[in-house]
Amino acid sequence: MANTTTLGAEKKYTWGGGKSPFTVSYGKLMMWIFLLSDAFSFSSLLVTYGFIRFTFPASGANEIVKPLSHTAENFVEAMREAHLFSPEHWPLPELVFNHFPFLHGLHLPLFFVSLMTFVLIFSSVTMVLAVEAGHRNAKKEVAFYMLLTIFGGLAFLGCQAWEWTQFITEGASLHGNPFGPTAFAALFFIVTGFHGFHVLSGVVLNFIIYVNVLDGTYERRGHYEMVEKVGLYWHFVDLVWVFVFTFFYLI
Amino acid sequence: MEHTEHLEHTESPADIKKQIWRTFWILSFLTVIDIVLYFALLSYHSMWKNTLFILLGVVKAFYIVAVFMHMKFERKALAGIIILPFMLVLVLIWLVLIEGGYTFDLR
Repeated sequence: MANTTTLGAEKKYTWGGGKSPFTVSYGKLMMWIFLLSDAFSFSSLLVTYGFIRFTFPASGANEIVKPLSHTAENFVEAMREAHLFSPEHWPLPELVFNHFPFLHGLHLPLFFVSLMTFVLIFSSVTMVLAVEAGHRNAKKEVAFYMLLTIFGGLAFLGCQAWEWTQFITEGASLHGNPFGPTAFAALFFIVTGFHGFHVLSGVVLNFIIYVNVLDGTYERRGHYEMVEKVGLYWHFVDLVWVFVFTFFYLI
Repeated sequence: MEHTEHLEHTESPADIKKQIWRTFWILSFLTVIDIVLYFALLSYHSMWKNTLFILLGVVKAFYIVAVFMHMKFERKALAGIIILPFMLVLVLIWLVLIEGGYTFDLR
């Protein structure tokens, strides 16, 4: 009986009003809920991708080109002739995403996108370190780690822009591409574009908060919770990339 | 801010940093596993292979949400608000992938 009374008292204390029952502030809670809604948006895009993709047969081929071998100048045309790229079936990701900056002509499947994944994970780590420094009110450290995070975000955007340029140069667009069905490139651009837009807005937000940190705004305020909130958004961006990477390149 | 109380960390900053870097290495390792498995399982086309990759993604997601986004140290109720709806979304993704397969059969 004593147990239930304590539990009842506990519940009244938590949900009795006058304080946040989730221990976090209003701003942080709302950021979490916004991220949940954004996760639904991305999920609907990925679900669409999965559905459309699996209405097409798989190419059925495997290990056509050895990694690290040299690809011919007209690789795409050769693949089309070999019917490895055809509008009737979904292309193998490793035949499409096989380029790497400064290493033109080498077949490096998934290398570049793996690099992008590591860049984003690393920028997430620097973001957490910034948040941790914020807990100790270490202004200079917060600024340093936030700057690294911003650089990581810009590096990712640069990589994505390069990848898009390669694709577009090879003839991919929203209404056609040489690799397979029209939906292939259209979905790629839409989903990576939507994600890239989030990375861009994340970088912009990070930059604004970075300037505020340098300015001493949060030092005066007494807490670095804004860094935490913007950190939540940044980790969400990383999280979405994990799933975009899985769905577009691995499955 | 007046209405919140902070869940106090019992670990030192050094411990927290160690935890953060440990999670980074776990995430990197899982990504390497992803890539290795992709090439090793290239000749297989099955729902199980896809489930495996999605599962790896979910494991990574748990680490990012729990450690980087601090969920492990927050109240369980907050975790519930976020995680439960998302579990349902994952079920939706799985179902629609199956549906896509059936639509393919119909084409």
